[in-house]
Amino acid sequence: MRTIIRMLAVLTIIGVISGGLLSQISIWSKPKIAAHRELETKNAIFQVLPEGKSFTKMETANLEVYSVFDDSGKLIGYAVPFEGNGFQGKIRMMAGLTSDLDKVTGLQVLEQVETPGLGTKIVEDPSKKEDPYWFPNQFKEVETQPMIGVVKNQKPVNKYDIQAITGATISSKAVVQIMNQGIQVLRKMDAEGKLNNAGGEK
Amino acid sequence: MSSKLSLYKEFTKGIWEQNTTFKQILGMCPVLAVTVSAINGLAMALATTFVLVFSSIIVAIVKKLIPDQVRIAAYILIIATFVTIVDMVMKASYPDLSKSLGPYIPLIVVNCVILGRQEAFASKNTVFRSFLDAVGMGAGVLLSLILLGAVRELFGSGTIFGIQLLPDFYEPMLVMILPAGAFITLGLMMGLFNQIALSNKEKQRKKTIEKYLSTKNSINDPVGV
Amino acid sequence: MELLVIFFGAAVVNNFVLSYFLGICPFIGVSNKISSAFSMGLAATFVMVLTAIVSWLIYNLILVPYDLDFLQYVAFILVIASLVQFVEMFIKKMSRPLYRALGIFLPLITTNCAILGLALFIVLRDYSFVESVVFGVGAGAGFTLAITIMAGIREELDLADVPKAFQGAPITLIVAGILALAFMGFAGMIS
Repeated sequence: MRTIIRMLAVLTIIGVISGGLLSQISIWSKPKIAAHRELETKNAIFQVLPEGKSFTKMETANLEVYSVFDDSGKLIGYAVPFEGNGFQGKIRMMAGLTSDLDKVTGLQVLEQVETPGLGTKIVEDPSKKEDPYWFPNQFKEVETQPMIGVVKNQKPVNKYDIQAITGATISSKAVVQIMNQGIQVLRKMDAEGKLNNAGGEK
Repeated sequence: MSSKLSLYKEFTKGIWEQNTTFKQILGMCPVLAVTVSAINGLAMALATTFVLVFSSIIVAIVKKLIPDQVRIAAYILIIATFVTIVDMVMKASYPDLSKSLGPYIPLIVVNCVILGRQEAFASKNTVFRSFLDAVGMGAGVLLSLILLGAVRELFGSGTIFGIQLLPDFYEPMLVMILPAGAFITLGLMMGLFNQIALSNKEKQRKKTIEKYLSTKNSINDPVGV
Repeated sequence: MELLVIFFGAAVVNNFVLSYFLGICPFIGVSNKISSAFSMGLAATFVMVLTAIVSWLIYNLILVPYDLDFLQYVAFILVIASLVQFVEMFIKKMSRPLYRALGIFLPLITTNCAILGLALFIVLRDYSFVESVVFGVGAGAGFTLAITIMAGIREELDLADVPKAFQGAPITLIVAGILALAFMGFAGMIS
């Protein structure tokens, strides 16, 4: 009996010390992590909508939407963080859309755990910035009507198609699917008049 | 067992003689998973060493207070605490690195190297010796992770630590970065090191035989090495 | 349909051992004989399913509501360690033959990274309760599949003339690499 009490006591003490220590560190690290995320979001917004100068955040039930404005305060589009499951895990990305939601202005993948060397090509690569067929670059100017599509092993013909990455069709399709689903949600919000298009021309 | 070793030896044994990856074949998941590049290997090894060193120190300090029956649970608790600390600090201070190491940082908790050292060493030795042992083992992990990461990065992307080393016409071998490449590279490297060790042993054996023959000058005696 | 994708995804497409490198230690250590490899697989699967259930409950019912998610690694590893202990005692009481078959593998499972990996993936991917259970079953099946295939190959390898330096772990790793390449073929199943 005494040993059992001692066992429990020792484990409890270790547990309490560890919990206390961790909560202190968590208090220190949480704001830092949040600040990083905010900075990352901000950079991503201006990356996918390069003409943007300022933005306002709108939080709705299922989606955060950033309305982006140019220097004259005119709405030029929306930046929306989409999220969904890829081939190996969650993909988080920032997509830029024109204010009528009919065209993508840019895409930046923020987080992914796809297969190194294959699926990881969904992330942009500074050295491939000039290559229009590099996966994230293809999203510039792509049309969202009726839906973004994926073609394999050939250059896209339609204005709404994206060429999949060789060897990573699933990751490519996953990105496109996440985009399509997200855009659908946005359209619905737009139809219900919930999108903040103050000053936006429709 | 090893308390007779000199302090210097206590530190160096982990680097090669008892290298956890190549000799003891422990803690393989991080070795294989994060070594797509040398920098990832370095970061993972540093994180592992941090956890290993601090857990060893704590375990060596409190070893007498922990009842035998719950020692494993207690060690795991201590290790998990330090891993969480590493994880939070990395997320706060090096967000990019923490992203590329992904879910493998938390898996340090179940890295058998760390639990193994607590059970086999820190729970039986003084604080200072445990510290030396942990640093040495950590150095061994560092060596093998960087080695493997550098080889895979070199052949898989033509770079080491992001610096282009192979000429442009070199077509990177994608397989080196894929999971399959990790297994194959590690297998080949392990075989290579075994081969070196074997041929060293062979040389030494020959030398001993020669010595034996020259002193005894007899071939009738069986040579047992 | 969604559940099928999760099951086959975890079992073959993204096999825990061959593409996430989880559970490598038993994969190399206990893959000498088909029979013991299969038992190890079963024991691990059993613990994995239980872990999926318990860790989902703990994370979503305790850690999230009380904002304690910084304790998740500590909580998960404790859950796994106590689950393994519990399962061991339970099997010992319930069935002697089963205990004899699985007994020695159970303590090894605590430090099997596949189990903790499973718990972490469930959190990372926001799986629902049912999805988590299916994921656990799939991951366990995948682990059993990989380790049993490996044991089958190694039984044949005993007859092969492997260079001395490559015997044991090195040749096992190389074979695992080739297996991983073969498993990449399953990727087409998901799309």
